[in-house]
Amino acid sequence: MQTAGVTDPASYLPLPQTQFHVLVSLTAGERHGYAIMQDVEASSNGLVRMGPATLYGTLKRLVDEGLAEEFAHRRGPDDDQRRRYYRLTGLGQRVCAAEATRLAGLVRITRANLRPGTV
Amino acid sequence: MPGAHPIYHTLVRLYPKAFRDAYGDDLVQHFDGLVADRGSRAAWCRAALDLAVTVPRYRLETIMNERHSATTISVAVGLLAAAGVASTLVDIGLYPGGLLLVVALALGIAQRSAIARALRAPDPHRRRRRLQTAAVLGVVFVASFVAYLMLIGDTWSTRDTVLAIIGNAAMIGAVGFLAAGLLTPKTSQRHQHNRAM
Repeated sequence: MQTAGVTDPASYLPLPQTQFHVLVSLTAGERHGYAIMQDVEASSNGLVRMGPATLYGTLKRLVDEGLAEEFAHRRGPDDDQRRRYYRLTGLGQRVCAAEATRLAGLVRITRANLRPGTV
Repeated sequence: MPGAHPIYHTLVRLYPKAFRDAYGDDLVQHFDGLVADRGSRAAWCRAALDLAVTVPRYRLETIMNERHSATTISVAVGLLAAAGVASTLVDIGLYPGGLLLVVALALGIAQRSAIARALRAPDPHRRRRRLQTAAVLGVVFVASFVAYLMLIGDTWSTRDTVLAIIGNAAMIGAVGFLAAGLLTPKTSQRHQHNRAM
């Protein structure tokens, strides 16, 4: 039985930076670990570089908390059979959206406070 | 693991067993991918920093779990009992040694009773409660010590005995709860709920 606290995305906020980056990567679709790392580097212009254990520790936490899940990927002939694939859960999508909204609000405030000529 | 770098493969053994069993192959495969894509030097730069940060962190997370928290209490009982016996034997005094033994006995009984079950029951606030209890007991200890200094007389009185009992018990309790609190995992409410589902 789910409680309100479990499904309330706000209870997960603020998300740690690495978790949010991984969730953002998964919003584009299912990914294996290495592709997630590449996505995170690209989306952060190389500022966020996750090592292997940081990445898989983050994925473990997201899976434990029900925000992402591992699933049986339909593999093509070129796919590495050893790779495990991950995707967002419904809760993960809502939490990711809520975090994006929260950050957008901060950006709005920052831009308003730091208007050209005020610094 | 064909192609796995043997040194990195060996270093992965530094991670806790549960993490290693779940993600060890992924880590090695990921490292191989880094070497293939960016070269050995870049891969090692990233992996070295990653290892330095995550090995102690994941090890610490493993230590800070329920089993170790319960173990801490067992160790505390043993240490208190040993200190009680030792202080009696080395002529520090029968009274403080006896007090330590009483506290150890009480803690030992409590560990096997409802208190112990409560300590191990899923409760997202238990870490905070233990630390709060330690803080309260610490304040009681300091207050009793200050009162003892302010009221100290030429002869040992019943009042001094009462203050000593309160102060010693509060100090031992504060240390015990502080240790148990620090070793209790910072489990979030949502995490507990998700695990319960």
